Amino acid sequence: MKVLIANRGEIAVRIIRACRELGFGTVAVYSDADRSAPHVRLADEAYHVGASPASESYLRIDKIIDVARRSSASLVHPGYGFLAENEDFAQACADAGLTFVGPSPKAIERMGSKTAARDVAIAAGVPVVPGTKAPFAEDATEAAMLAEAERIGFPLLVKAVAGGGGKGMRAVARAADLQAAIRTARSEAKSAFGDGAVYFERRLIGPRHIEIQLLGDAHGTVVPFVERECSIQRRHQKVVEESPSPVLRPEVRRALAECAARVARDVGYTSAGTIEFLVDEQQNFFFLEMNTRLQVEHPITEVVTGIDLVHWQLRIALGERLTIDPEQALTPRAHAIECRIYAEDPDLGFMPSPGLVRGLGVPGGPGVRHDGGVAEGFEIPTVYDSMLAKLITWGATRHEAIERLTRALSEYRVVGLKTTVPFFQWLVGQPEFAESRFDTTWLDRVLTERRGQSFVVPTPADEQDAAVAAAVAAWLHAHRASAGQPGNGRGAWRSAARMDGLR
Amino acid sequence: MTFEIEIDGRLRTISVESIGAAGVAGGRFRVSVRAGTADSSPLADPLIIDARPTDLGLSLLFADTGRTLDVSITPQGNGEQFVQMPHVALTAVVEGRRARRRGTGEATGTGEQRILAPMPGRVVRLLVKPGDEVGARQGLVVVEAMKMENELTAARAGRVKEIGVAEGQSVQAGQLLVIVE
Repeated sequence: MKVLIANRGEIAVRIIRACRELGFGTVAVYSDADRSAPHVRLADEAYHVGASPASESYLRIDKIIDVARRSSASLVHPGYGFLAENEDFAQACADAGLTFVGPSPKAIERMGSKTAARDVAIAAGVPVVPGTKAPFAEDATEAAMLAEAERIGFPLLVKAVAGGGGKGMRAVARAADLQAAIRTARSEAKSAFGDGAVYFERRLIGPRHIEIQLLGDAHGTVVPFVERECSIQRRHQKVVEESPSPVLRPEVRRALAECAARVARDVGYTSAGTIEFLVDEQQNFFFLEMNTRLQVEHPITEVVTGIDLVHWQLRIALGERLTIDPEQALTPRAHAIECRIYAEDPDLGFMPSPGLVRGLGVPGGPGVRHDGGVAEGFEIPTVYDSMLAKLITWGATRHEAIERLTRALSEYRVVGLKTTVPFFQWLVGQPEFAESRFDTTWLDRVLTERRGQSFVVPTPADEQDAAVAAAVAAWLHAHRASAGQPGNGRGAWRSAARMDGLR
Repeated sequence: MTFEIEIDGRLRTISVESIGAAGVAGGRFRVSVRAGTADSSPLADPLIIDARPTDLGLSLLFADTGRTLDVSITPQGNGEQFVQMPHVALTAVVEGRRARRRGTGEATGTGEQRILAPMPGRVVRLLVKPGDEVGARQGLVVVEAMKMENELTAARAGRVKEIGVAEGQSVQAGQLLVIVE
């Protein structure tokens, strides 16, 4: 049996690993930019699906179905992003006789529309954040939208119906800024998701983002998992996730899990999905949205429960019954933290920093998991998301998980481009992080207050070390040049190391 | 050989001599550090360092203390070297060439600011027009790259002198976007 993985990067690698563990063959797809990407190298087979822009490759349903046919794959795993929450793709797979590893097209459609999902939550008796009932029409007047905004009240969020990952979302503090925010949200959502429809939602004060992972099988069983807390966000994009939440009271945890399971049962949900909630200071919770796919941050749930979510997605897709003990899923046996490592320069306002990975040193040892999608020698394309990898650490307590994270970050080395590692090294040292005193607005507030101040605070001893190292490297570089070594644009040590290896 | 190394505005003059058979494949070096220019006195006794190239850069071993230091050094252009160490990463300018930061410079500087595209992408929006007065850190232009909209800002207050691109236009890394005087 073969599984086609309709994705790239770290998640394609993650899924290939699960397939291999279960004895399934793996079929990768790739664009022009990804011919030598790790997911292509790791898969049993790989097929070209088009030019580098996703719209010409990873989003081309016709080409991906064609590859499934040519490779005689029988299952299709969409990963996250790209076509993962596209009901047309799920339907096209079914029409082609392929098993889509995910929920039904109907469930994707219903829960993918944020306004329809709210209705499902309301019907299930789950509290929701006050907001617009339906998305605004393309030609809605400014006056009508303003009136609706006044009804909900400021501050509010303008959100794209098809949005996700903070794209197509804007916070608005006062009426004067509303129109500009709608325009940006629409243009961003249009280019990212091909759908510019937006709606409004009240913005809660001091909210924490807490979400419930769940699995559902085709026989009506739904199992909710212990929560993940994803409150450390930059511009509505999750930056750090952890499980369990460091603050949630046990009775609130149970209530969240029950509400999430109820929503999933009501829509006949199958496969892996996540229900996101906002939790206020009194631990009142509100349904936010459902993600009808595997999440980026799924590994922390796997770590704390010992349950492999991708294995279960595949087994459920093949009709197996969920035989997980619900107590195991709800009981964390460790504390896990994930950092999303991006090719971005934190000291330049998190500007993307694409380029060639000249070297990669990945942390290991106890309590460390690295889910990566890049390798040395791979050129990070500019056309996709800039996430390179996820670093997950765990320990018996949150404190131990943070100590491991600090240690693992010091081992992490990506050479050739800027990454968010220095930012995380700063973050783990912040008292608010250590003491769990944060909400979804904390990081943005701190970053604004820092006014672009560097995350790196070298001591005089660090500067001395760096200066000495740079001088020795310059000496080696100069001697390599005078020894007639051709310059190849790489650092001195590369050629020197190669020469060393040739001796 | 002697190198002038500047880090965060502080200059050090560092001389490096090989000991014995040390060469491009590494070996033992005598390294002495002076604060400032070559005519200032050494900070301390010379360091004896065993330096070896590795897959990721250089492994340094300080003979006097036995301390190790694993570094990666990547050229950034403008004579800048990005030096990565286990707990900290910083930029060193070798041979004292001044760092020229991209886009946003020092808030206290003077003269023309040339805002360049930091990466290939597409101009989504122009937030200013020629002749506009802008404040420090005010947004000038929004460039979409890697699926995110990135707002490029003025490092300090000034007046928009020239706009080199149009909305919707694709740009290459280093292409001139806006000049603020």
